Amino acid sequence: MAEQPDAPGMTFAIDAGGTFTDLVLDTGEDLRLFKAHTTPDDPVEGVLDVLAVAASGMGMELSELLGRGHRLVHGTTRAINALVTGSTARTGLLTTEGHPDILVFREGGRSEPFDFSIGYPRPLVPRALTVEVPERITAEGKVFRTLDEARLVAGIAELRAANVEAVGVCLLWSIVNPAHELRVGELLEQHLPGVPYTLSHQLNPTLREYRRASSTCIDASLKPVMAAYFSSLESRLSAAGFGGRVLIVTSSGGMLDAADIAQAPIHSINSGPSMAPVAGRHYAALEGGHDTAIIADTGGTTFDVSVVRAGRIPRSRETWIGVPHQGHITGFPSVDVKSVGAGGGSIAWIDDGGLPQVGPQSAASQPGPACYGRGGTEPTLTDACLLVGHLAADSFLAGAMRLDVDAARRAVSRRIAEPLGVTVEEAAAAIVAVATENMVHAIEEVTVQQGIDPRDAVLVGGGGAAGLNLVAIADRLGCPRVLIPETGAALSAAGGLLSDVSAGFAATHVTATSSFDFIGVARAIDDLHARCERFASSAGVAGEVSIELSIEARYPRQNWEIEVPIAVQHVTSEAGVRELAAAFHRAHEQLFAISDPESEVEIIGWRAEVRAATSRSADRRTVRAAVAPSGGARVRPIYIRGEGWVDATIADVDQLAVDATVTGPAVIGSSFTTVVVERGFAARRSAAGSLVITRTEAA
Amino acid sequence: MSSTPTAREARHDRIELALVANRLRSIVRTMSNTLYRTGRSGVLNTARDFSCAIVTADDRLLMAADSLPIHVLSGPDRMSAAMHELHPELHAGDAFLHNSPYHGNSHPADHSLLVPVVDADGRHHFTVLVKAHQADCGNALPTTYMGGARDVYAEGALIFPVVKIQSDYRDIADIVRMCELRIRVPEQWRGDYLAMVGAARIGERELLALGEELGFEALHGHAEAWFDYSEQRMVKALQRMPAGSAVGRTRHDPAPGAPDGIPVNAAVTLDPTAGTAEIDLRDNDDCYPCGLNLSEACAGTAAMIGLFNCLPDTVPTNAGSLRRVTVHLRRGCVVGIAEHPTSTSVATTNVADRVTAAVQLAISELGDDHGMAEAGGFGASCAAVISGRDPRAGDRPFVNQLFLVLSGGPGNPQTDGWTTFCHAGNGGMLYVDSVEVDELNFPILVRAQRIEPDSEGAGRLRGAPSVYAEYGPLDTELTVIYAGDGHVNAAAGARGGQAGARARQLRRDRSGELSDLPGCGEITLRPGETIVSLTAAGGGYGAPMQRDAKQVAEDVREGTVSVSRARVTYGVVLDADHRVQVAATARLRGEAEDGVRTPPEMEEAVQ
Repeated sequence: MAEQPDAPGMTFAIDAGGTFTDLVLDTGEDLRLFKAHTTPDDPVEGVLDVLAVAASGMGMELSELLGRGHRLVHGTTRAINALVTGSTARTGLLTTEGHPDILVFREGGRSEPFDFSIGYPRPLVPRALTVEVPERITAEGKVFRTLDEARLVAGIAELRAANVEAVGVCLLWSIVNPAHELRVGELLEQHLPGVPYTLSHQLNPTLREYRRASSTCIDASLKPVMAAYFSSLESRLSAAGFGGRVLIVTSSGGMLDAADIAQAPIHSINSGPSMAPVAGRHYAALEGGHDTAIIADTGGTTFDVSVVRAGRIPRSRETWIGVPHQGHITGFPSVDVKSVGAGGGSIAWIDDGGLPQVGPQSAASQPGPACYGRGGTEPTLTDACLLVGHLAADSFLAGAMRLDVDAARRAVSRRIAEPLGVTVEEAAAAIVAVATENMVHAIEEVTVQQGIDPRDAVLVGGGGAAGLNLVAIADRLGCPRVLIPETGAALSAAGGLLSDVSAGFAATHVTATSSFDFIGVARAIDDLHARCERFASSAGVAGEVSIELSIEARYPRQNWEIEVPIAVQHVTSEAGVRELAAAFHRAHEQLFAISDPESEVEIIGWRAEVRAATSRSADRRTVRAAVAPSGGARVRPIYIRGEGWVDATIADVDQLAVDATVTGPAVIGSSFTTVVVERGFAARRSAAGSLVITRTEAA
Repeated sequence: MSSTPTAREARHDRIELALVANRLRSIVRTMSNTLYRTGRSGVLNTARDFSCAIVTADDRLLMAADSLPIHVLSGPDRMSAAMHELHPELHAGDAFLHNSPYHGNSHPADHSLLVPVVDADGRHHFTVLVKAHQADCGNALPTTYMGGARDVYAEGALIFPVVKIQSDYRDIADIVRMCELRIRVPEQWRGDYLAMVGAARIGERELLALGEELGFEALHGHAEAWFDYSEQRMVKALQRMPAGSAVGRTRHDPAPGAPDGIPVNAAVTLDPTAGTAEIDLRDNDDCYPCGLNLSEACAGTAAMIGLFNCLPDTVPTNAGSLRRVTVHLRRGCVVGIAEHPTSTSVATTNVADRVTAAVQLAISELGDDHGMAEAGGFGASCAAVISGRDPRAGDRPFVNQLFLVLSGGPGNPQTDGWTTFCHAGNGGMLYVDSVEVDELNFPILVRAQRIEPDSEGAGRLRGAPSVYAEYGPLDTELTVIYAGDGHVNAAAGARGGQAGARARQLRRDRSGELSDLPGCGEITLRPGETIVSLTAAGGGYGAPMQRDAKQVAEDVREGTVSVSRARVTYGVVLDADHRVQVAATARLRGEAEDGVRTPPEMEEAVQ
């Protein structure tokens, strides 16, 4: 396992998304991008396919290419797909007697008060597979009721009779006294041998039984399927000639060895999307030293937004599989990626009151937008972009697919233009504007509501459709600058090359600044440090290791803690406690615009994150496809709301010289994406290969 | 952006309107998020018992966040009007504290903050409103629901009829000090007050920025267009409803000052052709000498909730859609306009929920697949206000409202009752407490919290079942105050659906013996004692014999319905693995449809 951070050889970063599997290959000298179709039934095939595409592109046999590789970083949607399609293991839950409905009651909440069309969600684990454990521990960790082992064993027998394939164990207050949960684990080994299980205090030692139970059951339910997937991935890569290390991208934006993540597969749920902000942070720093960035990754069906604040990638605890209050909470910190149904395939429609709306329904890849000519008749954002001239019919995906303008026109005319009584162009421009507004709203949710002012941030675009309205979004948000990195079309995979091996550990230890428990806190922090160091040594990394501590704290009687990084590694004096409190007040002020500096602060949880740098890919450049220079500047009319048809400059990014500037209105194409530069903005190609778009005049 | 002054003129301004409406919605959501994340008391940071809204300068509700229904349909308009009446001059930096039920507020425990949005030229354009239920409001007893109060003096809370609490963005400390001396656990109140100010000021800032960007003239034009649009949506929804008039009847349980309970009638007239709805609440009793009377805001809103629940589409809730709804109220009526000094301490829940139910039941009379059953009543002891001293923290005093699970969702034409519905005025919007968080914050132990089998209001679409909860103090005494409904009068079914199980409260003594408690109570539990709460279940919709047999089997597997109830009440025969016996079920249901056997009375839900 051990590797030197600058060991020779190639690194493969592969992100298997919904539609495409992207590969960014670091040859040791430069970076290269490749794409293949994702193969949902057997995603390993898509991974091998994109490696084969790369081998052929490099003029090598696959075995030769793989033989040169020393590391493969993989982001996968395997876990989330298994959860969404319900193909996880048949899972049982063992929980404290008297509380069998933890997963039924959840935390309450409903999306819309007057909408009765949505039924109450089913629990993650049905009551029929939930067994109550006779035991009880109090908030102070005292045994209120001793564990009745005989009845527990009978309960385990019920689960065996019900043919469960995995078991989650979540007992109340196991986070302060794990004795009962540990004993349940021993008895499971004994009476249900070979069936994987997860103990809540080991997986996710945090307060709140619903979240902990949910993460525990999700994790257990993923163990069989993910163990099989990672083992298939490693053995098939090995059979194809790869002898290096396989690292899997985690939901918190780090990497873990495949064998480690198979032990806690819940960490791979957001594998993939979590890499976009890692790449975004890198490029934002590279192109002008920005430490606050908004990263927008646009695919065919979703628009994913994440942020970088003061150089850090904030994490959210409220990660849901599916819609909040209807899906299931993961209960785990995850890179805060907000996903909305606003992609190229989102359908435009007119509501009962005559207002144009876009999404969340999507034409997806089948039948796809009307202009794909595959039988789609509903107008989509892609159709609208075609009709206003942002996309050209003959140069979509580097000419790989010809778009049907008439079909787009028919769809937009019938569904939008006629009901609104406006021209087709005006209707199309309205669709783009409404979709832009939806995307702006998504960005506001992760910025304004987290205390980030978009006017101080750089907007980084990734994904095939990002460039179509990213500048318009920046205009609305007041972002002074937009960046489209040269690896933008494969932003998540690029992030895989820039990431660290990392793991997070948590402990619940309640104390307050007014009566600080120095001894207890020291014990908790020492334990976290020990776990971080064990991880770093087992991860076999010779590079720089860093450990960052944070607290989960609140004002007295607040219900929700916020995570606040602390600069120190130990808290040993009253001065240290004051520093802790000050950091909390600042963070609260930043998030919510108010703080209460007179008040004491309660600390509920302690977290440590260990990171070990592995990568040297950051300074490499992408090799560009050779493109024959075309003569002179070209223009094409595009339609602008409130102006009508105007001539826009058309440029190809591969032909732009470093520091060459294109002034909006303009459309800049590349083989993977199209960037629309609005009036009032100008695009420049940077030395590092990004498109940097800035405002040329006051809005 | 266009600067067209009146958005109604040209059709393509629909496009601008779609964009501006999104901006306004985003502002109220940002306000809500701030309040939710920063509030100190459980009613804010868990139960979300608050609302945020934007009102026009001429007192019309423009946009409300998806908050508790009982807070916002009617009330913001009246409060804004009262602000104008009492403070003819408004300045940037003003903020008004308002909790007077006689001036448009819901009940005294809901503190509202009104902030006029005034531009640089001193012109008042909008008012942002933040309303939040307080953990304590200085009542004579440590509860915000004074069911037994014979008048407002007996309640004891300070009443603030639109009192200026900030001037030039700074607190008027006199008012803050009054609150701190009257309200229990004042630092908690102050924390919630700070959170409300934060939310209101964020809304103010964002609205000013939007007005500056678009021009206030244009923004007001869009507001008019938004009202017109919302009215249009309401017309379309009403066109899909049945025509006719019906009266829905229900009854609140006996309570102090109302020994026979409080009957509630609602006469509903729907006219799909005209696109109007009319609800008449005037034919009801006069106010009672207790805290259950409704304020004007709550009476109007409760009636409208019943209508909005039954609309076939969701419609924006603002002054535009409400142009199509008329609610007739009478001064001095228990479900009308309570006048000073009548007590309205419990106006947001109990009797208000019965008004909503009466409207739903009336609409269900008008046609199949319309209306809905009655939701389970509020106020079981699992949502009591608890108080005492915490021995773990040097006997620090505490008072707060618990929000363990209140169930009670009504069966309706589309879905089974929502399991965490809480009550009609809440609509399931609240978050429920984590047992671990409650036990961390208070010296209590929650022994159990689970669904009570065979309690659901049976129906083609069933009501949500009761929830059994049991808790008590750890090493201390605990005061538990609650004012419940549904202990005598169950939540009614609609269109052949059955009533839900009644609520029940019991005390378990140290030997384990259970004894019944009244539906309203102030109880002191000693160490080792517990209180048992069974919440009122929701009523069912449609005949139980018509329920999808597979759904019945699923309910049995999931422990909501027993095998015998599946057979007797639903006519569904299951095998040992709880699979539907199709032929036997058809035979049994055939018999039932012939009327040979009728389902027995609901059994009581407590073991």
